[in-house]
Amino acid sequence: METDEFILNMGPVHPSTHGVLRFKLRMDGEIIKDCQVVLGYLHRGTEKLAEMKTYLQFIPYTDRLDYISAMPNNYAYVKAVEELAGTEVPLRAEYIRVLAMELNRIVNHLVFMGSLLLDLGASTMIMYGFREREKALQLFEMLCGARMTFSYFRIGGVREDLPEGFIPKLNEFMNDMEKRITDYEDLINGNEIFLMRMKNIGVISAEEAINYGMTGPSLRGSGVNYDIRKMEPYSIYPDLDFKACVYPECDSYARYMVRVDEMRESLHILRQIVDTIPESNVIATQKYGVAPMTGMPYTAQTYFPRIFTPPAGEVYSRIEAPKGELGFYVVSDGTTKPYRVKIRSPSFCNLTAIPKMVVGLKIPDLIAAFGTIDVVLGDVDR
Amino acid sequence: MDPVTIDTTKFKPVRRKPETALEKLEDTGLISTVLAARERKGLILLTTIDQVFNWARLSSLWPVTSGLACCAIEMMATAMAHHDIARFGMEIFRASPRQADLMFVAGTVTKRMAPRVKKLYEMMPDPKWVISVGSCANTGGPYHESYAVLKGVDNIIPVDVYIPGCPPRPEAWLYGIIQLREKIKNEGYGAKWGLNK
Amino acid sequence: MNGAEELKQSLPSSVISTGMQINKPLAVIKKEDILPVASKVKEMDFDQLSVITGIDYQDRFEVIYNFFSYRKKENLVLKVILDHDSPAVDSLTSLWKGADWLERETYDLVGIKFTGHPNLTRILLPEGWQGHPLRKDYDMDTEQFVTIGEDGEDIVSTDGSKLLRRK
Repeated sequence: METDEFILNMGPVHPSTHGVLRFKLRMDGEIIKDCQVVLGYLHRGTEKLAEMKTYLQFIPYTDRLDYISAMPNNYAYVKAVEELAGTEVPLRAEYIRVLAMELNRIVNHLVFMGSLLLDLGASTMIMYGFREREKALQLFEMLCGARMTFSYFRIGGVREDLPEGFIPKLNEFMNDMEKRITDYEDLINGNEIFLMRMKNIGVISAEEAINYGMTGPSLRGSGVNYDIRKMEPYSIYPDLDFKACVYPECDSYARYMVRVDEMRESLHILRQIVDTIPESNVIATQKYGVAPMTGMPYTAQTYFPRIFTPPAGEVYSRIEAPKGELGFYVVSDGTTKPYRVKIRSPSFCNLTAIPKMVVGLKIPDLIAAFGTIDVVLGDVDR
Repeated sequence: MDPVTIDTTKFKPVRRKPETALEKLEDTGLISTVLAARERKGLILLTTIDQVFNWARLSSLWPVTSGLACCAIEMMATAMAHHDIARFGMEIFRASPRQADLMFVAGTVTKRMAPRVKKLYEMMPDPKWVISVGSCANTGGPYHESYAVLKGVDNIIPVDVYIPGCPPRPEAWLYGIIQLREKIKNEGYGAKWGLNK
Repeated sequence: MNGAEELKQSLPSSVISTGMQINKPLAVIKKEDILPVASKVKEMDFDQLSVITGIDYQDRFEVIYNFFSYRKKENLVLKVILDHDSPAVDSLTSLWKGADWLERETYDLVGIKFTGHPNLTRILLPEGWQGHPLRKDYDMDTEQFVTIGEDGEDIVSTDGSKLLRRK
C-alpha cells in the first residue's frame, strides 16, 4: 500500500501551544518529516511604540513582553537606560530589585511545570502550581499593587520601599515553598510515564545549541555552563552565593530538572537577601538629602529629573531572565524619547531550534519538547 | 498631616429580615417576575418557561479556550482552585468551538489574528455569548496607536459584557460573569432561535 | 588587547574604525567584507551571536551585530553602514544558524535585504503587508487589514469591509 506525505496544521488556536503559535508539519504517517513555525499572530508593534513614548512611559510596555515574569523585563530595560545615562542606584533599591526578580523566577518555573504537565495530560501539577502562585502574587500585591504587570521599577531605583509586614510574610512563603518543592519532586520525578515521555526526546547537542543562539535553562540542560549572573554579573549578584544548575544530558528531562533546581537556588538567594538587606538608612535620605519644596526625604528612588534626556549613544545590556538572555539595545539621540529600542527576547531565539529538535519524532513528542523550551508568545512576537 | 485610618471591621452589611407581608412577597421574586413579564408583553406561562430555559443556560456555560495574551494567564488563575469558576458551571474549557457556548476574548486581537477569532465565533452554535476581557480586547488598550492591533474586538464580533482591566483581577472576572448571568436571566423568547444576535 | 583591536591588526583593510560602546569594543566594518570578518570573528572564539539590530537614520541604514565569547568572557560589537536607497548586506546564516530568524525579522521590520539568505520572507507581519514599519517614513494613517484566503493563507488589503461589522 502506497502512502503519501501530508501537511498537518497545528493552528494558532490550540490548547497546547502556549498561546497563538502555528506549526505546519509535513507528516509521513505519524512521523514528522519537517516542521515550519509560523509566528506573528501576537505582533503588537512594541518597538515602534517605543519611539513615540518617553523613557518612563515605555516601562509598562516592557511588562507585557514576558507576562508571566514581568519584573526581569522591567529590569532589563531600566538597566540599559541607566548604563546609557550613568545613573547611580542606591544599595537598598538593588536588594529590593533582586528580591523581586528571584521571587518572579520561582513563579515562572511553577507556571512552567504546571503547563508542561498539563500538556502531557496530568492536571494535578497545574492546580498546585497556581495555588503557590497565588501566595506569591499576594506578596507582589503588597509590594506594588498589581498581580501580574507590575511596572515597579523606575530609572534609578524602585517605586516604593518594602511595606511593613512584608518580610515576615516572605519568610512564611519561603518555608512553605521549600517543603512543596520536595513534594512536587516526589510526585513527578520518578513517575514512569513522565520518564518515558521526556527522556531522549528533543535532543540538541551543546555546539548546535550555541550556534542556534539558545540561552538560559534550555542551554544549561545541554551541559553548557552559561549563566549571565555568573559570567557578567550585574547588580548585587557578585555578593551572593549560589550555583548555576547544569545537566549534561541534552534531552527534555535535563531541561526540566534544571528549572526545578533553579527554584531551590532562588529560595537560597532570597534567604540571603532577607538576612543581609541593608537597613532603612541606606535609602537616599542621607546621601541625597531632602526635597527642597516639600521637606520630605527622598525615597528609594534617587533624584530623578523631571525631564530625562540621556546623552546620545547606544547600549546593549542583558540579564538572565527566567527564560534565557533578555537584552535591550537602546539608541538615544539626546531627546526625551528613544530613537530605537530593540528587544532581544529569549523565547524568539530559543524557538529557532525547534525544527531541528523535532524531526523524526511524533506529535506528542513535539509537545513535550516544545513545553520544555518554555516559550511565551508575548516574548516571541513582541 | 496624619493619615486617616478606617476600621473596616466596624462595618458589616446587614440584611433586614422582611417584616410586613408585602416585604415578604417582594422577597420571593414573584413580583419582579410578573412586572418583567408585563413589560415584555408576554404571557406568564411562557415567561416561566423562558425562566427555566434561561436558568438552564446560565448555569452551565462552557467556555472555549481562546486566550490570546496576558489576560489568558488570569483566565487560568480564575479557573484554578483559589478563585474557582467551576462553581459557576464553567467546569470544562472546551477545545473545540462547536461544543462551547461562551467565548472569552482575552488578550490583544492583532490584525493577523482577527479573521481567526471571527471564524471561531462563527463556528460556535447558537445561543452564544461573548465576553471581552481586558482593555486590549475592549478598545485596543495600551496598543491603540500601534499599526498591527485591531482597536477592540467589537469591530468584528458582537460583545455582551466588557470587563475592563489590564489584566482584570479574578474578582473582576467573576463580577463580569455574574453580570452575564443577569443578562441571560432577562432574555426572552427570541433567544431560543438566536433572533437577538 | 580587545577583540576590535585584534581584528584591526589581522584585517586592516576591512576595518574602518574602532572604539568603545559603553564597555564593549566596537569595530566599524566595510559592508562588502562582512563575511570574511565574521569568519575571523568566529575563529577568535566568539561563538554566540546575541542580536542583530537594524536602524534607520535619515541618510543611512546601520546594522549592528553583538557577539559574546563563552571561553574568554568578552564582548564584541560590529557595525556596518549601508546606503539609504537599497540597503543590502551579506547574510551570516552560513556561520551562525541563529542568524536566520534575526535577519528575517530585520528584513521584515526595517527593510534591509540580506543576500544569500535561504528564505528571506516576512516573519512577524503577514506576507503582502505594504511597507516596513520601523522605517521613519512609514505611513501610520492607512490601516491594513488581513483576511483569510481560500487555501488558508493571509490576504492583506486596506479594505476591511469583509471583516468589520461596522464602518
